[in-house]
Amino acid sequence: MTGVENPVGTPPTTSAPARGDGARRVGVVVRRLVLSPAVLSVAGALALTTIVMIAVGVDPSLAYPALVRGALMDGNLEYTLAAYVPTLGMAVAFAIPLRAGEFNLGGDGQLSLGGIVAAALALHAGGSYVVPLVGAALAGALVAGLSAPLRTRLGIPAIVSTLLLSAPAVSLASYLARFPLAEPGTGLAQTPLLPESARLPAFGSSSYVTIALPLVAALTALWLYADARTVPGYEIRALGANREFARYGGVRVDRMAAVTLAAGGAFAGLVGGLIVLGPPYRFVDGALTAPGYTFTAIAAVLLAAGRPPAIPAAVALLTILQAGGQGMEREAGVPSQLTQIVQGLIIVIVSVAAVVRSRWTGRQA
Amino acid sequence: MSVPPHDRPVAGAPAVELAGITKRFGDVLANDGIDLAVARGEVHAVVGENGAGKSTLMSVLYGLHRPDAGQVLRAGVPVRLRSPADAIAHGLGMVHQRLRLFPGLSVAENVVIGAEPVRRGMLDRAAADRAVAGLSERYGLDVDPSARVGELPVGVRQRVEILKALYRRAEVLILDEPTAVLTPGETEGLLRMVREFAAEGVSVLLVTHKLEEVLAASDRVTVLRGGRVTGRFDTAATSADELVQAMIGRSLGAPPHGPRPTGTPSGPAEAMAYVLEVRDLHLRDQDGVAAVAEVSFGVRAGEIVGLAGVAGSGQRELVEAVTGLRRAGSGEVLLEGRPVEGGRERRVAYVPADRAGRATAPIMSLADNLLMGEQRGIRLRPDRMRQRAAALVERFSIRASSVRAPIAQLSGGNAQKAVLARELSRDTPVLVVEEPTQGVDVGAQERIHALLAEARDAGRAVLLQSSELSELRALADRVLVMFEGRVVADLPVAEATDERLGAAMTGAARPEQGDAEATG
Repeated sequence: MTGVENPVGTPPTTSAPARGDGARRVGVVVRRLVLSPAVLSVAGALALTTIVMIAVGVDPSLAYPALVRGALMDGNLEYTLAAYVPTLGMAVAFAIPLRAGEFNLGGDGQLSLGGIVAAALALHAGGSYVVPLVGAALAGALVAGLSAPLRTRLGIPAIVSTLLLSAPAVSLASYLARFPLAEPGTGLAQTPLLPESARLPAFGSSSYVTIALPLVAALTALWLYADARTVPGYEIRALGANREFARYGGVRVDRMAAVTLAAGGAFAGLVGGLIVLGPPYRFVDGALTAPGYTFTAIAAVLLAAGRPPAIPAAVALLTILQAGGQGMEREAGVPSQLTQIVQGLIIVIVSVAAVVRSRWTGRQA
Repeated sequence: MSVPPHDRPVAGAPAVELAGITKRFGDVLANDGIDLAVARGEVHAVVGENGAGKSTLMSVLYGLHRPDAGQVLRAGVPVRLRSPADAIAHGLGMVHQRLRLFPGLSVAENVVIGAEPVRRGMLDRAAADRAVAGLSERYGLDVDPSARVGELPVGVRQRVEILKALYRRAEVLILDEPTAVLTPGETEGLLRMVREFAAEGVSVLLVTHKLEEVLAASDRVTVLRGGRVTGRFDTAATSADELVQAMIGRSLGAPPHGPRPTGTPSGPAEAMAYVLEVRDLHLRDQDGVAAVAEVSFGVRAGEIVGLAGVAGSGQRELVEAVTGLRRAGSGEVLLEGRPVEGGRERRVAYVPADRAGRATAPIMSLADNLLMGEQRGIRLRPDRMRQRAAALVERFSIRASSVRAPIAQLSGGNAQKAVLARELSRDTPVLVVEEPTQGVDVGAQERIHALLAEARDAGRAVLLQSSELSELRALADRVLVMFEGRVVADLPVAEATDERLGAAMTGAARPEQGDAEATG
């Protein structure tokens, strides 16, 4: 989490104006926090999961510690971190256009193309990891950016076009990995090992945690700052809140929407590059999409419920659940699928809470 | 489909009757104890301006809204309409303003959808075609059942919607602003059809704000204003003037009041150049229909020019052209001699009528809403923004719990004051204001009028669009009246009586040269 306070323009549910008249005010803030959709949904999901555990005869007092150990201790932390970085990146890739009211569901395609472009540049252009990463970001921006003219010229919503463009983009990356860029002689759907010079340096002692971690963290912080404290960030929020209001206020709405889509795509492409340039230092077909970073990220953004500063924490929660699920399976004999059920429950509760809330405030107005 | 009513129809009862319908949305009383009865074979016009409650009332009748009080009677028997399906089962049919058809399907397929003739589990196309052709002939609708709907002109598509209702044996037909999308020729054809339906025993509810149509096609008229019935007339025994008075409120002979200073700057203003000048402007709406034609006028510094007209006469499009939000078809809009640029024109401050849709983003904070239009550069300084917002809140006495709270939490009057605060605090030569006191309580109204007068006295050129004639009389120096996209009257405020404005608003005072070509 960064130290950014509640950004201007988001509902003040978590703002803490704890100056002045003391206890009562704090009480109100605490109540709002406890009743916020994110807290409610996590608590509700955990309660339901506990009931399921008891019902199938698993002792929750064994399962939960196993989950935490599986994610954070016994040397598992580095794997959890290695999953956290791409998920956070993909969360930002989804969140940037979402602030402008556009849904980017094409993360997998942008991610894959970014990855294969990074691999191609690393193999054939030589040099350090900088050029491959820039190329990866551009590739992602290009795929996502395609959805902007489709929307403004043809009226196809971005939520549809990004999703539809994703599959061909994944397939194109897969084709490139299997044929033109394939490792000769092995018959495996993967590129050769990338040259040492292009590999991402490790960050700390583990080779699984590369400089991708500080890089993604810094870019996320930069975006959070831009969202809350810059004029373009303000215009994007206004666009998402009410498109006609933004147009009325002189925002070039079509261009701004295109910029956010391309920026989201660039983030996704960059993540693809970061994965490929990290261990095992090659593009392996399917390795980018199989872990499901894209949709875990979307779930995390939805869980953050319109509060960007909460996204890193939401990503952390879901990553820990997933990584810890393996440990829980080993130690407590709980199928790791249970954590996916928890994740699903969280999203359902978030959605229901959001609908109930808007109905309720709608009735008041 | 729901069960038909248990009770037997009462002989001689109205085909449909709305009794004491009240419907409230939050603080807004959309329908307030409305009574309305339509006899069998009667064409009943429901007129009123935008927001008068027409649509709500029709939605209640068609089962889209449930009334808070009152009931719907069909042939004298109370019916409960929980959904449009209920309404259809009770013989009601509605043609919405926005047509709801499948462009890829044929006319017959569109008509029978949901109630298809079936043969061996399959759509019986021949039977559908026959049924539609029969109906089309019986009511003189002249529609080819096999034509693809997407290839038909709008007027014919509308007839397909009507056929859809008739196919479901509608005995009461609700037409919601049916002529809004039609050309004059098509309008005439539609009105002729409406008379034919009536002759066949169908009752028609014609919702419109165009008085010519009312006078041409209806038997009786109910006028709504502010959710109440303000007039009931037999068409044969009424006039456009009488209807307009009921529509816009009786403020006959009310003396001009409000914060007008005694010494209006009319003397020196005559000599001054126009700050805002519109020259021979033509605009088309999104459907390509002419919305504004041959409009020319000017507004000087220190002058308020009022813009009157029945809603939908081209005022909105004109305002959008002046503020840069709509591109001119031909002609030009000049600000201090230089043309308006596309996108939002920064030299014009603009208070839109649509508060929640355009003037504010309801879910954003008051501070965010107060910034829009003034955002410059790259860095946003939240503390400075909040300071500025707090200063505006203070100066314009906006009642808000916090500038960080969403603007949706403010009352209508306070939200409107916030919009005015934002726009008036901008340093622009021209101020354009639409419906400044719509949905605003009396206290806030006075304050808003005083603010507009202040802006005028500060030397701004103000264009004020309002459907409240009393408001125009209180504030404007001159009043322009629009009718069917043209400015048909330009009256100094002293001559802008209700009679003259009303006549102009209904087209009775059309410029002479226009009459020759106005025949269809």
